[in-house]
Amino acid sequence: MNIFFLLIIILFSGALLSFVSNRIVPKISGIISFLIISLVSILFFSQVNIGETFQFILGEIPMQYGVTPYTYIFAIIVLGLGTLAAMYSIEYMKDKDRLGYFYSNFLLTILGMLGIVFSQDFISLFIFWEIMTWSSYLLVIYNGYNSRNVGMKYMIFSAIGAYAMLTAIVSIKANYGTYTIAEAIQNGAFNFSEHMYIPIMLLVGFAVKAALMPLHVWAPNAYSKSPMSFTSIFSGAMSKMGILGIGLVLASAYSYSNNDDTTNYITALRYTLGWLGGITAVMATIYALIQTDAKKLLAYSSVAQLGYIIVGLSTGTELGVMAALFLAVVHGIFKGALFMVVGAIEKQVGTTDMTKISGLIRKMPFTFFVALVSIIALAGVPPLGGFVGKWMLYEALITESNNYFLIIVIFFSSTAAFLYSYRFLFGLFLGQEEKETEHVTEAPITMIIPMMILAILLIVTGAFPGILFEPISHGMHNLGFSDVNWSMSVLVNVWGEESNMTYINLSIGIVFVVIFAFLTIKGYKGTKNVGTKDISTGGEIPTENENLTFQLDFFKPFERAAAPLYKRSMDKIWNDLGNAIDSLSDFMRKIYSGNGQTYALFVVIFLVILLLFKDTLFAN
Amino acid sequence: MVISPIHYIFVPLVAAFAIPLLSKLNKELPRIIPGIVLFYNIIISFVLMQEVNEVGYISEVIAGWRAPIGINLIITPFSGFLVSLISVLGFLIWLYGFRFKKVIDDGELRSYNILQMMMITGAIGIIITGDIFNLFVFLEIVAITAVSLTSFYRGRDGAEAGFKYLLIGGFASAMILLAILILYTQVGTLNMAEIAERMHTVPTGIKSTILILFIVGFGIEAELFPLNGWAPDAYSQAPGPTSTAFAGIVVKAGVYGLIRIIFTLFDIEGAYDFLIIAGLITMIIAEAAALKQTNLKRMLAYSSIGQMGLALIAFGIGTKEAVFAAMFLLLNHAIIKSLLFMTGSILMYNSKEKTISSLHGIAKRLPFISILFAIGAFAIVGLPPFSGFWSKLYILSAAADKEMIFLIVTILAVSVIEIIYYFRVVSKLYFAEGTTNVEVYKPKINAKISMLILGIAIFVIGFYPDLVTGYLHNAADILLDKASYIQYVLNTDSTIQ
Repeated sequence: MNIFFLLIIILFSGALLSFVSNRIVPKISGIISFLIISLVSILFFSQVNIGETFQFILGEIPMQYGVTPYTYIFAIIVLGLGTLAAMYSIEYMKDKDRLGYFYSNFLLTILGMLGIVFSQDFISLFIFWEIMTWSSYLLVIYNGYNSRNVGMKYMIFSAIGAYAMLTAIVSIKANYGTYTIAEAIQNGAFNFSEHMYIPIMLLVGFAVKAALMPLHVWAPNAYSKSPMSFTSIFSGAMSKMGILGIGLVLASAYSYSNNDDTTNYITALRYTLGWLGGITAVMATIYALIQTDAKKLLAYSSVAQLGYIIVGLSTGTELGVMAALFLAVVHGIFKGALFMVVGAIEKQVGTTDMTKISGLIRKMPFTFFVALVSIIALAGVPPLGGFVGKWMLYEALITESNNYFLIIVIFFSSTAAFLYSYRFLFGLFLGQEEKETEHVTEAPITMIIPMMILAILLIVTGAFPGILFEPISHGMHNLGFSDVNWSMSVLVNVWGEESNMTYINLSIGIVFVVIFAFLTIKGYKGTKNVGTKDISTGGEIPTENENLTFQLDFFKPFERAAAPLYKRSMDKIWNDLGNAIDSLSDFMRKIYSGNGQTYALFVVIFLVILLLFKDTLFAN
Repeated sequence: MVISPIHYIFVPLVAAFAIPLLSKLNKELPRIIPGIVLFYNIIISFVLMQEVNEVGYISEVIAGWRAPIGINLIITPFSGFLVSLISVLGFLIWLYGFRFKKVIDDGELRSYNILQMMMITGAIGIIITGDIFNLFVFLEIVAITAVSLTSFYRGRDGAEAGFKYLLIGGFASAMILLAILILYTQVGTLNMAEIAERMHTVPTGIKSTILILFIVGFGIEAELFPLNGWAPDAYSQAPGPTSTAFAGIVVKAGVYGLIRIIFTLFDIEGAYDFLIIAGLITMIIAEAAALKQTNLKRMLAYSSIGQMGLALIAFGIGTKEAVFAAMFLLLNHAIIKSLLFMTGSILMYNSKEKTISSLHGIAKRLPFISILFAIGAFAIVGLPPFSGFWSKLYILSAAADKEMIFLIVTILAVSVIEIIYYFRVVSKLYFAEGTTNVEVYKPKINAKISMLILGIAIFVIGFYPDLVTGYLHNAADILLDKASYIQYVLNTDSTIQ
């Protein structure tokens, strides 16, 4: 039996097993799911050969499974993050109920994503896409938070996206005769010369998952209200499925530049996507700045980072696409880590409201370290991975596109990202300790390990970005881009010769370690706790439990300045649309008035109308 | 042939007459006899389907008068498939309703079982008959039994629902009878195959009038808009097993009648487009109305109407793939809707107002039923990997082949609405805070087995639709093949042995 069937069966039975086993032995579901995902990862990375395909027929549709170098990148994200999140979940979910439900849907989500990675025909893609969607919906409503609004919004948008995709898929079959992705591309499905709605509908479907404006309104709430161990793969891996699709469609579109019309349409598409990505990035960043809940801040930040990735994809050049894919992988890593951090804090402290907690650095040092590394990567500061990706993105935008406004927008958004990154770090970890958080201890070891692994990965990819460049450039070859010359950018020294980067990092590392050691050893004994009694405010000595660090209304001046931007909310538009549909259905419902004689009257009226128009209706 | 199709009619009729007599022997017999009869139906179906797949048609004449004078019963792959489905469902519904609690005294027990069995028999009769007046007779059987069952609980609501059904059902019968009369005066025969043969002699004006009368008549049974006002009331007021039978069996007979008339008897191009438009309007209005329902069974009823609208759209598209897809939808809908009504009735059992708010959080106490309900909800919306996905896919694919993009978009938009109201119920079932002092009705093993079988069927067809696609393709081909239908019936030489 081929490896893909095996993986599917393992994951399905794992889901079933987790669900059932929770009734027999509590807590074992977590361990089971972790083992299953590890097994799947090991099998996948050892047994699957890139380029092999398996064909079979189901429901009279020829289906094809196989991994291409391009989708392999995403497989790394999905399985890597999935395994770590599963390990993390064991402790995180320990005291919650309905564990069987949680883990079975968790495994089904991973199944869906893995299936998307190895689907090579549209129907399989759609099947796994939908499995991923409904199992993640079930997890979003897990916390029971006002399940109607948060989960339902997510489901509605996902359904709209998925059905747009379905429309495109059946049209592809009708117009181009095949369901297989490769054949469809060959037959010209994405070349924008005719049936333009097909690639656009597919893009809409993928854009929903990638939280692109204006389809992003589900994301902030869905990310923040789901359980954190799920959000790490939700935001880290699932959004990348959208990127996978967008990349695929765009790459195929770019490779057709046959005539002027096509090129114009494609350029228009590129500009539109670029702008949408840019606006998403800016708006989400701005919203992230004013959040007081760490979870929501990260959620908005996710949406913003996805905006960057889409901008990168929209440039259409090798450098831009490579930047986008690199950022995608790195974002998966650091966002996954950050959500785990927030989850650890939530578990240990009980809340993630940044106005209420501070000063956790003493109590949760490892968590702080992970958060620090991840935030540095997010902000795009060297020497970590985020810097590499952002640098490539800026370079691609500046040297190869003429879209100066977009460059300004992205720069602005990146700078603002730095602001909220700092807020996150400061708000949670730095500052003065509160009395309420005195009991807090470090998170359990099975939660720390995955976070540390992710942090180390960030450091490694920062130092040796070549590790990621290799699969990404294979992927891009596969998509049809010409040879991405890693050593071709302006910083020849930095990229081309990895050894240089290593020297830089080595020196930074050495300096860091030396200074750290110096400070610790030399200064440890000499440190003293500075109590609040040493400060006075307005002539009064504050009491022990007054928090003097600046937590509330952190960016108030900025908020006031950007107030007009906050007023325009995409959310309102969608809510209004929803209300309109609601009143429309109310109207429809009233047709069934309940009066039997009215119904009989309908029958007679219908009969009369048909008889009156019978010649036009039934002319033959 | 091995078993004659007349057994479908004959055996239940005998049993129906026997039950009141036999119940004097043993009070429990009225419960058991329908089960035996319905199980026997399954056996006959199995045998006949085997034979029909080899031979092509089975035609049986009654009382020795050969067609076209006599009444004949026809089993084609299409009708055979529908009848097998109905037999299996009928048996499962009987199993589910075996210990139907609310029936107390013996008279009610007898009437309930006889009526339920005859309703199913009537539906089967509609499908296997080859004579149009016979069709009308069976339709009346279905109508009478259905109306009685609707108002089974002798309360005000049941009576109101039954009255509406009676009123509008009366229109249906009148229209169909009128259409048959006019048709008879034009073609001089009541045998459907012969009518099909002679149809071209009827002038167009009269032809379209007859068609309209048939459409209105059968449309009432098939729950077409605006003829379906009776349906939400009837479904929600009838006892649980009966609403299941309505959704799974009776409406299929109505759709069958409509389709048989349009595809086999008449040959009017406009009829297909009419089906698409009527189906579309039915679907949109029904699903939109379902969105605002607070009563679970009414919501399911509207959803049923919507799905039938979708089936009619698919039939209206008219290509082989579309008809195949429509039949797949009928199959899936029968299984899934039955499961939904079964589980829904149990979930609502002890609630007085039968509103959705009474099932908040019940999932903790009725996990098995809730999971089955959730599976049904996911399946009917068309999510993979459940069976409903395949039927939706095939319908959309058939529509795409004919470049009907607007249709596809509309169907999918309506599907989003379906998702909203089904998922709303499912999430409330699991996650909403409910009152803990409402007693839940724990079903016994017989109901659980029925529902489990349906649930497993959903999974199996979902994972491996190729099991049923062969039969369905045969059925679709036969439906579209008018010529062989006529030829086989009129030239066949069969008599009863």
